[in-house]
Amino acid sequence: MAFWNKKQNGKKSLDPNYISAADSARIARENRKITTAYEKKRSRKNVPESEYLTKMRDPKNVVEFDDVHTYFYTDIGTVHAVDGVTFDIPASSTVGVVGESGCGKSVTALSLMQLVQRPQGQTVKGEIRVNLGDKAYDIVRTPTEAMTHIRGNEVSMIFQEPMTSLNPVFRVGAQIDEVIRMHNPEMNPDQVKARTLEMINLVGIANQEGVYGMYPHQLSGGMRQRIMIAIALACNPKVVIADEPTTALDVTIQAQILDLFRSLKSRINASIILITHDLGVVAEMADYVVVMYSSRIVEKGTAREIFHDPRHPYTIGLMKSKPILNKKVDKLYSIPGSVPSPIDMPNYCYFRDRCDKRFGRCNGAYPPQIQISDTHFVSCYQYAPENEK
Amino acid sequence: MNQQPLLEVKNLKKYYPLRSGFLNRVTGYVKAVDGISFSIPQGKTMGLVGESGCGKTTAGKTILRLEEKTDGAVLFEGREVYDIGKEEMRRLRPKLQIIFQDPYSSLSPRLPVGEIIGEAAREHKIVPSDEYDDYVTKIMLDCGLQEYHKLRYPHEFSGGQRQRICIARALALNPKFVVCDEPVSALDVSIQAQIINLLEELQSKFDLAYLFISHDLSVVQHISDAVGVMYLGSMVEYAPKDEIFAHPLHPYTEALFSAIPVPDPDYAMNRIILEGSIPSPANPPSGCKFHTRCAKAMPQCKEITPEMTEAAPGHFVSCHLFRA
Amino acid sequence: MSEQPILNNTPVENPEPEIRLDDEKRVRVLSPGLLIWRRFVRNKLAIAGLIILASMFIFSFIGGLISPYKQQQVFRKTDTAMREYASAMINEDLRYIVKDGEKFSNIAAANFVLAKNNKRTTFDYAGTHYSFKAGAEDFYEIYSLTEIGSVLMLGKKPNFDLNEGETLTAEEETAIAEAVKTKTAAFELDGKQFVLRRDGKNNIISVTKPIAIGTTLIFDASDREGVPIVNNYEFIRGAGLAILENESDFTCGGQTYAIVETDDKTTVYRSGSEDEPFATISNLMIRATSPDVFLSTDFKNAFLDAAANGQRAFSLENADGEPVEYTITRTHNTYTIRTASLTELINMYAPPSRSHILGTDSNGMDILTRLMYGGRVSLVVGFVVVFIELIIGVIVGGISGYFGGIVDMLIMRFIDIFNAIPFYPIVFILGAIMDTMQIAPMQRIFILMIVIGLNGWTSIARIVRGQILSLREQDFMLATRATGIRTMRQIFVHLVPNVMPLLIVQATLSLGSIIIIEATLSYLGIGIKYPYASWGSIINAATNLHVMTNYWYMWFPAGILIFLTVLGFNFVGDGLRDAFDPKMK
Repeated sequence: MAFWNKKQNGKKSLDPNYISAADSARIARENRKITTAYEKKRSRKNVPESEYLTKMRDPKNVVEFDDVHTYFYTDIGTVHAVDGVTFDIPASSTVGVVGESGCGKSVTALSLMQLVQRPQGQTVKGEIRVNLGDKAYDIVRTPTEAMTHIRGNEVSMIFQEPMTSLNPVFRVGAQIDEVIRMHNPEMNPDQVKARTLEMINLVGIANQEGVYGMYPHQLSGGMRQRIMIAIALACNPKVVIADEPTTALDVTIQAQILDLFRSLKSRINASIILITHDLGVVAEMADYVVVMYSSRIVEKGTAREIFHDPRHPYTIGLMKSKPILNKKVDKLYSIPGSVPSPIDMPNYCYFRDRCDKRFGRCNGAYPPQIQISDTHFVSCYQYAPENEK
Repeated sequence: MNQQPLLEVKNLKKYYPLRSGFLNRVTGYVKAVDGISFSIPQGKTMGLVGESGCGKTTAGKTILRLEEKTDGAVLFEGREVYDIGKEEMRRLRPKLQIIFQDPYSSLSPRLPVGEIIGEAAREHKIVPSDEYDDYVTKIMLDCGLQEYHKLRYPHEFSGGQRQRICIARALALNPKFVVCDEPVSALDVSIQAQIINLLEELQSKFDLAYLFISHDLSVVQHISDAVGVMYLGSMVEYAPKDEIFAHPLHPYTEALFSAIPVPDPDYAMNRIILEGSIPSPANPPSGCKFHTRCAKAMPQCKEITPEMTEAAPGHFVSCHLFRA
Repeated sequence: MSEQPILNNTPVENPEPEIRLDDEKRVRVLSPGLLIWRRFVRNKLAIAGLIILASMFIFSFIGGLISPYKQQQVFRKTDTAMREYASAMINEDLRYIVKDGEKFSNIAAANFVLAKNNKRTTFDYAGTHYSFKAGAEDFYEIYSLTEIGSVLMLGKKPNFDLNEGETLTAEEETAIAEAVKTKTAAFELDGKQFVLRRDGKNNIISVTKPIAIGTTLIFDASDREGVPIVNNYEFIRGAGLAILENESDFTCGGQTYAIVETDDKTTVYRSGSEDEPFATISNLMIRATSPDVFLSTDFKNAFLDAAANGQRAFSLENADGEPVEYTITRTHNTYTIRTASLTELINMYAPPSRSHILGTDSNGMDILTRLMYGGRVSLVVGFVVVFIELIIGVIVGGISGYFGGIVDMLIMRFIDIFNAIPFYPIVFILGAIMDTMQIAPMQRIFILMIVIGLNGWTSIARIVRGQILSLREQDFMLATRATGIRTMRQIFVHLVPNVMPLLIVQATLSLGSIIIIEATLSYLGIGIKYPYASWGSIINAATNLHVMTNYWYMWFPAGILIFLTVLGFNFVGDGLRDAFDPKMK
């Protein structure tokens, strides 16, 4: 789509909702200043390890997000895509991150991989601690060189679009081989191939040898997603980020992939970060659930806590607005309004304007995180003790 | 129910020729829609479910004569849509509307929203020209849009808002029948609910009939009065909603229903996992098209194409298990 | 879900906030134009390209206005050069000075030379008999003869038979008889000359009348007033006869002239002013090269002195008393006298200087100014051609894309055929035809634009077709069909505006290549012709090896301008493509 239209420029320049040219230039100038400063810092050579070495708060966690802020410096202002997100990924568990589009769930994951689109996107604050066994790295401060060892080896990712994530001109086997070889330079070609075939087998493909020599276009969507999973698991990562792994798939194929995930969970010792908007998928897969709304976590807890005892009005609304099979409602509940654009956010609960339970205190500062149980946290004044500010 | 359904589809077929070779000879057909029949009474919703490539979208477009049919009949208010002349068809168009899946590509990017919504109403003189402006405003408010949106361009809107614009565009023509082609699958959950509610509201207000095409069974169950399940161009099961969800008969329907994830971590799953993927519609399996993935396949399924049979009153299924 | 512990009793209704968080008015967005602009400026090269293009436009369209020179202004310079001032030659040709009222034609002169060489004293022409008398130094007096009768010698007694009206005195008769006896052909008696010619036994008697002088002597007057007198028949005859007879003076027109002969020249003085020479007589002919220069006697004398002494140069004071140097070169009988003089020259190949920053070209025109005007032509040609290409391309491509099927197939095959036509050979032929037909330079420009435009529309048509084919399948086009909007409105309101961005990008990119094509054609000499300039035709100067190697400033700046402009168009086109691409962040 192209938006260029001379006629409309003249007419619409009166619309106060448009940024003036001077403001736009100022924003662009400021953005450039900020991002170049970050880029300079990032592209330094030979950063001492001490600078990004850190300590896990709880050694049982593989990843700890601690007050992570990832901003995008865009032409219409600074987008706070991730604005103070804190949650842990315990070892060998599945954490579901749920939210609507634009809530920052994907950016959170990309921050962990340092794959946020630069230079506009920068993780400006907070720590993302990754447990490497004997030591822990703070991903936010890890330089690009060190990051290549972590990506794929320690943290790997499965993308939403299986159609476009595989290179169409290389055989499937070669693409898995490449990943294994890159992270295991000591392996000889036979070992690499053996490992590849093992991985293809692991993701439930019977005809390993045949698939090994196939091109991506010869595979169906479900098969391709299996290959993507094989690539992600090829190097025994500690954490696998699955970003909407089944959204692009048909229901019956989604069932196959979810089935595969469930069987893999017991066979690999990786934690999974499952990013999805589909509450059903999360309920089925996740041990812990993080609900995000407008760049912040509104509620987190175990899957049972979230699904059986949702506290935040947003979580409740989200669950009610999805029709459930064989559960009759006359009229679907729907959250009024829409997700706000995360620019220039005020300091009060972001959900206040859409919330049907809002009351006087909601006009105060953004609600703090209130602990309901050991694992269950919610950011809502409804659950805050009266005297707490 | 009226005696005569608003829309009746009889054995509708849409084949796309496959051409190859130097002379572009037709070497085969993709049977996108291979003989489907159903009827929709005024003010009711027919749900059409199936996975990608099953031909449900093509069926919707062929019913609206946006694609030419290969065979069969589409009767709108008792008239064969395909027998109507070109100019008369243009005048009939407002009665038959469509809402697309992708709200990003279904709006002319370079027209202001007011024009997108109103231009066809003006072309067809739905209202006198002096009431035109107010009419567009009214339709926009009906669809949850604001008047000041009129001068804005589609790219300034979010997905949900755009889908509202699409609905307003269809509604402005005072239609009787609307094909909703996956209208909510590209939207966020909370917006989905808004759009579904809007569609339901409008249906009761304007007595619209919907053909609701979706792959999302829970949405279809919520909105439909009757449901048809399609697999590789054919309808495998067709029944009133309550009947089909309570007693799915066809093995494919069963598998489809069980594949829906339920948002409850303690839900006891007994999922039927279908093996393999959907065969190519250019080269469908012989006999029952589902037999390659069917857990209950019998030897005859490979050879004989099952007929649509009425297994229960109003409940049609095409499976050898339910031969009368 | 219903039993939630709500700590704070009942929700309190809260006044509606002044602006809701999800209100789209809360966050200001970029207007569509600004959006494109921001995406555009993110591309550094596109900015560079835009700056280049802006400078090129200012240079070409405003530069021409502020340039002090005109496009076709030829610059000249004055320079001192050894220029031919006069020439002198030893005259060996006879020239004929004819007495007033008499005739002596060229053929008669030729017959005279023939007679002279054959040592005859008479000759005929056109029924008239002539005789001449040879003097010294090739001074001949030519007479016409008039028959007055004949004489027959009967024994010793002459028998005269005179024509009617003619008489002879007794003295004359005696003299004639004597001459017949002694066989004298001519004699003079009392200033009257008689010529006898034998005709059998008869002797025809004729009397002579001087009509012309044939001489190799050159009579030069000392000043302008003297020229008509000196070249007068009477003067020359008088002077010539005086010299022949070694007399020291003669009279002509009532004026007495004295003749002084020295070793190498003869000078004539007017009596009464003996110290001022009136004329010189010599066999050297000295002529000034320029007709308005009159050579003074001093100059001639100085030259003659120098020539006699075999000098190669001499010096003489001019009217202002300043010494002027003259050089002499001699070839055979011709002397050429040169002197340094101020001359106006076309200022060709002037190197860069303050007044001509990039120098001048082979026509003496200011290169910088030519570049400005040439830029106009190059850019205007580019725009007009793109316009032609767009019009044809959009119409053909639009029809092809919208209607598809057999129409599309036929149009695409036509384009294939069209593309197979070799462009350059056709243009060469066309150029030759235009040369032969002597098409006016302005018309050539128009023809050139049309030809380049016809060459390039196919790529635009293909792009438009492809775009329309893909747009046609978009849902919003399907929606226009579903809502029953008329075909024309579908095309012009919904389809065409969406092709515009692509067209703008394509047009910008083609501008670059068109400028290159125009430059190529002009360089090859079949494009823009003198007096108009384009950057290509300015580079055309480099076809001359001498110019290419010695005068870089004649072709290099034009080359740089073409290079920069094309680069600018490509950068801007690229930037626009990115800016219009919605996938760009």
